[in-house]
Amino acid sequence: MTRMEHRLSSRALLQWLGAGLCVALASPGWAVPSFARQTGMACAACHTVFPELTPFGREFKLNGYVLDNIKQVTGIDTTNRQTLSLNSIPPISLMAQISYTHTSAALPDSAISGALAKDGDLLFPQQVSFFYAGKIADGLGAFIQLTYDGVGDSFGFDNTDIRYTHHLSFGGANGNDHSVILGVTLNNNPTVQDVWNTTPAWGVPYSNSSVAPSPITSTKVESGAGGFGQNVGGLGVYMWLDDHIYAEITDYTSAIRGGAHPLDSTQSNVVSGSAPYWRVAYEQRWDRNSLSVGAFGLSASTHPGLQGTTNTALSGVTDKFRDTAADVQYQFIGEDHQLTGMATYISERQTLDASVLDGFAGNLHNSLKSLKLTGEYYYERTIGGTIGYFNTTGSHDPVLYTAAPVGGSANDSPDSSGYILEVNYLPWLNTKLQAQYVGYQKFNGQKTNYDGSGRNASDNNTMYLLVWLNF
Amino acid sequence: MTRLNSVLALAMAASMSFGGIARAADAVPDATTDMQKAALHKVVETCGTCHGVNGRSVSPTFPNLAAQPAPYVELQLKSFKDQSRADPDAQAYMWGMASQLSDSMIGTLAAYFAAQPAAPGKGGNSALIAQGKRLFEEGVPARQIPPCASCHGAHAEGLAMFPRLAGQHAPYLLKQLLVIQSALRTAPVMHGVIKDLSKDQMQAVVAYLESI
Repeated sequence: MTRMEHRLSSRALLQWLGAGLCVALASPGWAVPSFARQTGMACAACHTVFPELTPFGREFKLNGYVLDNIKQVTGIDTTNRQTLSLNSIPPISLMAQISYTHTSAALPDSAISGALAKDGDLLFPQQVSFFYAGKIADGLGAFIQLTYDGVGDSFGFDNTDIRYTHHLSFGGANGNDHSVILGVTLNNNPTVQDVWNTTPAWGVPYSNSSVAPSPITSTKVESGAGGFGQNVGGLGVYMWLDDHIYAEITDYTSAIRGGAHPLDSTQSNVVSGSAPYWRVAYEQRWDRNSLSVGAFGLSASTHPGLQGTTNTALSGVTDKFRDTAADVQYQFIGEDHQLTGMATYISERQTLDASVLDGFAGNLHNSLKSLKLTGEYYYERTIGGTIGYFNTTGSHDPVLYTAAPVGGSANDSPDSSGYILEVNYLPWLNTKLQAQYVGYQKFNGQKTNYDGSGRNASDNNTMYLLVWLNF
Repeated sequence: MTRLNSVLALAMAASMSFGGIARAADAVPDATTDMQKAALHKVVETCGTCHGVNGRSVSPTFPNLAAQPAPYVELQLKSFKDQSRADPDAQAYMWGMASQLSDSMIGTLAAYFAAQPAAPGKGGNSALIAQGKRLFEEGVPARQIPPCASCHGAHAEGLAMFPRLAGQHAPYLLKQLLVIQSALRTAPVMHGVIKDLSKDQMQAVVAYLESI
């Protein structure tokens, strides 16, 4: 099998790029007014500015989304055991995003060679989501998102985290010197269950363009192209001790939506066995500050399945991915000023036995490293902005990363780096007006002619305007 | 009998309406002590998310409740519940939190937090603290501001409806003085007492109160 046979056409790459972006776009979690309706508390209790969580927001989530302050429909059995405790008003809410994207240079037409697509794209909507987010029963709560995607013109299952928790106090004369929350989570996206905004599912940017080009790949634990977001299911356990120490283990396996079921060679990147995810973090709070330092990781063995137009059986050798990450988050939440600093570093080691055997990759061993640094500031939770830096580097692979217009790499590299500048205005706590600029220093390996078709990294610089409503 | 158990004894006849188990207890008036104990624990854990399970909070957004006189806590919870206390944080946090509390649970909670050991004082700017001590103990006679100690106690330990101020977070106290002065928070006695208190004087007195 020659290398060229596995090169994707530019159109296929664009389609793949779009599919990857849809996954990436669907992955961020949202602040949902149904939590406010259930708790009777304003958004500011749980969020600095949505969707970033405050320490109280983290506690609410770790407690299983069950804190309620509305009338309940209840039931007990003859032994006084509670058999039902249901919100009298269902915790349902809606989110709408309307966006406009402009890239520095127009993208190629998807059908006519040499022609260009319209420069500037209005998505009305980019996305509309329905949520059930809140209590199901005593100790049992859920965040379930159903999303209409404006690019795919499709409606489907999105981020989901269902959890059961139990809270214990112990120690000291009054039996309350220590507290621990023990929880079980059932979710479909590694890190969607996490409570810090340094992990991928809830990381910055909280929203981005779904039509602008994005880098060729990302690590498995991230939710972009090649990631597992919404295509796996995991069952995990966690503990949160004394508001300081968090530890979790969740085991994932493939739960791909649509296509052939049971999963077969027409599906892509199918997990072989299970993929364990782990997470530890320590948080210190003082006055109006909180600082968390953590680590997380994911190990997965996958069958490539369908790659391009080639089907491969879900048997035999596998590709192995081992992601290891470190993260730091600092928050200052004052009366007038809110300040957040975040850093996340992810290192992925790939051993691509299956992909090399099937001709999808050139190197048996590849690496991928991702760094994100973010600073955010808000004044009175009304106006503020974000400055971010991102840098992805990885092994050159002449089969995995190939030249193709816009989405390819002329020097076989996944390296991309750049910055994000964002200004946000929130006239109300549940309404965000956003202007975002993403600038690329390097895109898929190079600054100039990165795709081998004359496109420069800066041609992908993107201005993105967003109206984001939650109600 | 531990202090907690003493407090729990107060809950014997309480009907409770906050949290799942609490509601089960509410439905059955002769619920067992264990059930009532579980109900109080559940409510306290909820309060404790912000105020600390032992009533000693970390963030100055949320006041310490440990050793707070029970009548004061009871009055505040009732005024959150009927929404007569309407300062911004009351609306954002406490209107919802107090909305489903029964009067008996409010009494039980107030007794629980009153029984918790007080938060220790934290040091600060000694000159400011000294200025605040004078204000607290002597008031400002020239501007007809009476000594705070006359109602809140010589050691700011509080009494009945007058809250404990000793060891309270300075930013919280400052915010309360400001929202009371601007009438966002209703506090009939305090409106008159602090109407001429300057922000500098407020900062001094809260620095002193946090330190003791």
